[in-house]
Amino acid sequence: MRRREVAKRVFAYELLRSTHQIESEGLRYVLTPTGERVNRIFSVAVLLDKEEIGADTNNWRLRLADPTGTFFATVGKFQPEALETINEMNVPELVAIVGKPRVFEGVSRKLISIRPENIVAVDLSVRDYWVLETARRTLERIEAMEKREGEDVELAWTVYDPDLNEYRDMVKKALLTVKEDVEIMEKLEEPPREDEPEEEFDFEEFEFEEEEFDLTDLLED
Amino acid sequence: MSRAEKLTDQILERIKGKDVKVKREDILRRMKLLIEEFKVPESEAVRTIMNYLVREYGIPREELFDRDSPLVKIADISKVNQWVSLKAKVVQLWDSNSPNVSQVGLIGDETGIVKFVVWAKASQPEVEEGKSYIFRNVVTDSFQGRMQINVTRTSRIEEIDEDIQLPPREIEVVGSMVAIQQNSGLVKRCNECGRVLNKGVCHQHGKVEGYDDLRIKAVIDDGENVYEIILNEENIRELTGIGLEDALKIAHETLDRNAVLLELKNMLLGRYFRVKGLRGGRYLLVKEISVHKPKADDFNEILEALA
Ligand SMILES: [Zn+2]
Repeated sequence: MRRREVAKRVFAYELLRSTHQIESEGLRYVLTPTGERVNRIFSVAVLLDKEEIGADTNNWRLRLADPTGTFFATVGKFQPEALETINEMNVPELVAIVGKPRVFEGVSRKLISIRPENIVAVDLSVRDYWVLETARRTLERIEAMEKREGEDVELAWTVYDPDLNEYRDMVKKALLTVKEDVEIMEKLEEPPREDEPEEEFDFEEFEFEEEEFDLTDLLED
Repeated sequence: MSRAEKLTDQILERIKGKDVKVKREDILRRMKLLIEEFKVPESEAVRTIMNYLVREYGIPREELFDRDSPLVKIADISKVNQWVSLKAKVVQLWDSNSPNVSQVGLIGDETGIVKFVVWAKASQPEVEEGKSYIFRNVVTDSFQGRMQINVTRTSRIEEIDEDIQLPPREIEVVGSMVAIQQNSGLVKRCNECGRVLNKGVCHQHGKVEGYDDLRIKAVIDDGENVYEIILNEENIRELTGIGLEDALKIAHETLDRNAVLLELKNMLLGRYFRVKGLRGGRYLLVKEISVHKPKADDFNEILEALA
């Protein structure tokens, strides 16, 4: 059995600029401008729109956005798991998506699209961690590009000759977009401090007719 | 001296001092035939001839074969086609999709962990996860560049009352659950051996009624590596609030056992988990698993690196 390919973390901004494909040992990879070799991708993005390509074809074109840009995905009968969830899903929805990137020739330029293996609704903390993780990985790749480490890095320089500052800015932008959310969530989840006044007991609930409970007998002695 | 002669003498050495008359020419002729003419692997030739000796000369099989396979440590296994004995603990078993295989999994001692395969033809007793055994007279092999151990007909598996320690290989990963395999969710297991049934059929025991169980085989991907993990009912209940009872209820209400898997997929796929476990071969044996959330400080760290 062939070893399963790792799902790479790439921001939409970088993904959209990835146009070079590599065939290796029967597998197709997309090379990104910072030298990542991608056969499978993991992304967390907002599903903005789903549109059926032709009536009753059950082929869907999805438009998705992460904090750095918008990208497309297509789902059809060859992605049965993704198709199942897409049929049920309403937009907009925050989703996690695992899939294979494919480059194809558009009218005027090359375009990239994802074929999702699965797609599932998730909450904001997943998005937050994905941004953090993708930022970390992208930064590592930027550093490898600067040091000119490795074959794919050399190839990325040759094919794309990227402006690395552009990619640093992209990472920064993405981080700042979600950092505030994370801070707010942390504040909300902090345990109450000890010096805060304890909740007052609500005596209103215990109003009763005094006559009914004459306890004077008990108090004697 | 030819290879055949050398091997013949090695075999004769084994039965020296025993009260049996074995003709050297007899052995050598067979050895030459097997190795030189039929090009049988040496280990097979030796084994064939030893079986012949057991049959024809009545030499007790244990004497021949026990001496044949020295007790070694897993870390020392590096060559294929070596007959060895191992004292090891069964780390994990997984389902085989081949009818030729009765059990497959990982065994380990304090020096390492290795994959082992019990061939169906070997008709060996079943081993259990977590128990320790002496695997006598097993043969080393290589599969996809990795060493493995084959348990064959001439092997003997004996349970031992000893807890073999495994090497410290505990790791912690934070990754996304990128896939859940199809044979997950509400499954039926064989009453006899506990293996997951395929359409009501156990590889070993045929058509059986089976009992219900909840399990997930999933892939955790941290962007650098993939780890296959198996979650048991307890893990699943902790993560999703769905235990076996709830799963059965879902299946009953929807009239669809697959609805359980769908629900679990919706709750778990794409999420990040922190998994603590033992790395053995391609599997990560889960010891702890929890949902992972980011911290604000982590963001500052990278922002500083960017500045
Ligand atoms: Zn069985």
